Amino acid sequence: MDISSASHEKGTVLSIAGRVDTATAPALEQAINREIDLGHRKILLNFSGVNYISSGGLRVLLAAAKKLKGSDDRFGLCSLNPEVLKILKLAGFTSIFSIYPSEGEALAGW
Amino acid sequence: MPAGNDQLISHEWQPVPGAAGAAIYPLIRKIDTISSNSYIIQTPEMIVLIDPGGLTDQAEHVMRVIGECRSERDRPVFVILTHAHIDHFIGAQHLPVFAFPEIVVFAVQESGADALERGDGNLTQANLLGINQVPMKTGFRLLSRERSEFAGIPVSLAFSNGAEVTVIQDRICADLEGGLVCERVTFGEGPGLELYHTPGHSPDSICIRIGELLFAGDILFAANPGIAGLCGWSQEALIHSLLVINEIISGGGIRMVCPGHGRIILAADAVRMLSLVRNDALALSNIAELNNERARETAEFAEDCMDEVNEIFTIMAGRLYYLSYVMDELGEPEIAEKMSAQFNGDAIDELLEAFKGFADEHHKRENESIHLALKAGQVIAKLDRAFKKDELASLIDPTMVQRAGRLLSDYTTMLRGFCPPSELCECNINGQVRSLITGLTVPLCSDDDMLDSADDDAAFVQMLLARVGARPLLEEIDLTLETGDLPVSAAVDRDLFLDLLTYILEELVGTGSRRIIISLEREEYEAHLSISGDSAEPSVPEKKKTWNFLTRLCERAGGTLAYAKENGMSRFVITVSLV
Repeated sequence: MDISSASHEKGTVLSIAGRVDTATAPALEQAINREIDLGHRKILLNFSGVNYISSGGLRVLLAAAKKLKGSDDRFGLCSLNPEVLKILKLAGFTSIFSIYPSEGEALAGW
Repeated sequence: MPAGNDQLISHEWQPVPGAAGAAIYPLIRKIDTISSNSYIIQTPEMIVLIDPGGLTDQAEHVMRVIGECRSERDRPVFVILTHAHIDHFIGAQHLPVFAFPEIVVFAVQESGADALERGDGNLTQANLLGINQVPMKTGFRLLSRERSEFAGIPVSLAFSNGAEVTVIQDRICADLEGGLVCERVTFGEGPGLELYHTPGHSPDSICIRIGELLFAGDILFAANPGIAGLCGWSQEALIHSLLVINEIISGGGIRMVCPGHGRIILAADAVRMLSLVRNDALALSNIAELNNERARETAEFAEDCMDEVNEIFTIMAGRLYYLSYVMDELGEPEIAEKMSAQFNGDAIDELLEAFKGFADEHHKRENESIHLALKAGQVIAKLDRAFKKDELASLIDPTMVQRAGRLLSDYTTMLRGFCPPSELCECNINGQVRSLITGLTVPLCSDDDMLDSADDDAAFVQMLLARVGARPLLEEIDLTLETGDLPVSAAVDRDLFLDLLTYILEELVGTGSRRIIISLEREEYEAHLSISGDSAEPSVPEKKKTWNFLTRLCERAGGTLAYAKENGMSRFVITVSLV
């Protein structure tokens, strides 16, 4: 799994590529925590390169949502592939954080 | 720990309990399908190797140990196979030392000896495992019919390795129908062996006793999924053999059972295991033979099925985490923690990922299907053990938990050699569709239920959990039901039909459909149930494993499945026969 970070005026975008599974989920968690530690409270995960998420990955997303629930905080995902979207929707996660079709549409609303 | 206690140590010489002058060097491996355990026994008169195993490295190792014994004192060597399956002997095939009959004599029950001599790859399982097995000469045909004519009379045999052996064949356990054919084999003055013909796992399976040890071959695994039904397997013979071996062990004098695979078992535990294996074996009437074709079908089913297993287990884990999150938000951290503990997500993820890794490697190496089918069987058995169905069903959508359970049991059923169950019967599919849709639209507990429980803390929390954990799939969907009010009777398996419909609806909702239309069209002999969603994303047949899974499920449910993408709508059509 590769993670790249880009700072934008309206938030930080972490672009993820690969599988988010037991082996890689800790790296994603560290990357999110690093941004939070730097004071970045608006984080968008671009999942366009993610083709699989395991339950370990889901737990990392929930942990991030918990940390970013202040009124000025933002946490969301964008550009999900259909399999990953299906997992998040059926697990009920879409009511915890927002899912956007694209990076542009997400940041435009932040 | 030396022999005399409750275990044997692998890779060490130790005395054979109850056989003065005999020592054993066990080579005990973790259980797999590649190679068996090996056991070397030496007495002052001979060296016996029970099962050289399926790996050349292992056979080399045991021959090195045997070489050391022979350099101390040269003695004839016998290689006895508990049965002629290749995981018990093929490792020896390419080692020159095994080809010298003046040193090593192979001893195999006579039907196994026949199979080896004619290179019968079906009986040895070489064909199933894709291994080239050349015909092999067997010097000592054990438990032969020829010697049954001299029952109770000592027969002296001389072998090419210089051994002179006395064999007495007899029939014991006369109180059990058919009894048990037994041979006592002695090599001079030292302790001898007792051999018992115990067919079932294979026609040539034998158990071997020396002192207080019983070498049981694969009889304890013979009813396992993916083992039962191998070419040469016989339910009737196995049940009989299990009875007689139980009688032998229960008769006393045996302390440990040394299986063909895995750790040594204490006699009392072995008796319990034999009883469980017998129960399993009794349920295996009419299973299909596990040949290459069935291994391929089972492996294909495994891969299609494992993708769905992966998805549904991840969703269930997600639901629990979601539930835990919400309870935490509501100031109920203890309940939240309890929720998380209901699902060992890491262990389940690791199992699923291990299967994926195995499957990827399997395809890269173009291995034989049976390996993948058996690996899936192992993973599914472990998932089943880790899966707390009842607890989960009380917290999240119980129909999802039931479907997950059915997925696991269907695969085990198939691996066992049965067709996964399908019971077609007359069913009003319109009524079934309507009640399913209601169940997927209305929360499990209503607003009134919530209000009624408001005065009771425990009841309220339970209601809350049920409400949050089992959010209806179609709650936020603009649903149009165009199925009419009339009953439509078709021949379907009700549970599988409803599972199929739920999978399709999940596929549409999960990939973003906000509007779903369900219609039912009736013709003279058939009815077509159409489920359309405005999801832009999926073209399900392109997701080959999902499509294979759904079409297979539809066939078992009694119908056929079609898919089309029309005017921006994904449309599934289930066609069933009217009755």
